[in-house]
Amino acid sequence: MSSKKDKAQKSLTKEEELLLQDFSRNVSTKSSALFYGNALIVSAIPIWLFWRIHQMDLYQSGILFAVGTLVSTYLVAFAYKNVKFVLKHKIAQKREDAVTREMTKKFSDDKKMTRKERDERILWKKNEVADYEATTFSIFYNNAFYLVLLILCSFYVLKNFSPMFNYLMSVGLAAGLLALFSTSNK
Amino acid sequence: MKLWVLAVLISFAGYSLSEEENVARLLASKNVLNQYLVEGRDLTVQYTIFNIGGSAALDVNLKEESFPEQDFEVVKGNLNVKWERIAPGTNVSHVVVLRPLQFGYFNFTAAEVSYKPSENAASAVVGFTSAPGEGGIVGSKDFDRKFSPHVLDWLVFAIMTLPSLTIPFLLFYRSKSRYDTPKPKKN
Repeated sequence: MSSKKDKAQKSLTKEEELLLQDFSRNVSTKSSALFYGNALIVSAIPIWLFWRIHQMDLYQSGILFAVGTLVSTYLVAFAYKNVKFVLKHKIAQKREDAVTREMTKKFSDDKKMTRKERDERILWKKNEVADYEATTFSIFYNNAFYLVLLILCSFYVLKNFSPMFNYLMSVGLAAGLLALFSTSNK
Repeated sequence: MKLWVLAVLISFAGYSLSEEENVARLLASKNVLNQYLVEGRDLTVQYTIFNIGGSAALDVNLKEESFPEQDFEVVKGNLNVKWERIAPGTNVSHVVVLRPLQFGYFNFTAAEVSYKPSENAASAVVGFTSAPGEGGIVGSKDFDRKFSPHVLDWLVFAIMTLPSLTIPFLLFYRSKSRYDTPKPKKN
């Protein structure tokens, strides 16, 4: 009797785990590494612009660039996580039918699988697909938005300010606005 | 007595005027032709000498010593020029192209012009050109920042941003097209 209870507890725990993962904003270590890596790359790219076009010296402004890049990396990664969380549920709803169809077709020949196991696998696959698409779209959307904001701030709004002030404010504003807009729930 | 003094004065004035007709009189101007003075870029200075006198000016020397060698490099032209004669009622011009080696404010002062007003003149007359005044020489970095089109730099930037944008989008699109439910057609 105790073994049955354990099994039931185990399957509940698995579902609970999946639900927790679904509704929590926390990302896995792999996702986190992906987000921070991409954020670092996209935050480092503007250094080229400021070096070549605003004529800032790389060595003299090295510390400034490092600080700006780190702050921007944190804020952009924060934006990635938020946008991914909001998108995941929308995408999951859209992909539900197609994923169910594909998985049902895949497991139709397997007579040994129980209905519950099949549903679990479909749920897991749906979660995986939604997670993947939300991650990739979040990275693309936030990168594009960040670069547009940065170029607007640096070359239009702050055009006549000194290069150092321009860099700090452009990167700060772009990353800050990105993080701010990512906190909206729509 | 008064009449006699008046007569002397008139004759003296007449003598001076006639003297003016037989001597050369030069007016010299110095102009910087650039709209922008930029470090490391050409700066054009034009000197024009007008002879408003009645006779040709001889052994005309233009001496420019106001551009120190450590601050300006001569690209084209000479800073010391000689003309054998400048006919009355004519003008001559001379252009020098320099390159500022430093940025900052520079006071463009007058150059020296010396000439013999007539053939019988005992000594040369020394005069000065007009002085353009103080000018600001902009640093090359500031000038580039403002005016250079930076086409190549923007192109490289575009190439650098492409992977960050296209790779995530392509991955998303591939998954989307695999799992997207086609919309039902309306009949």
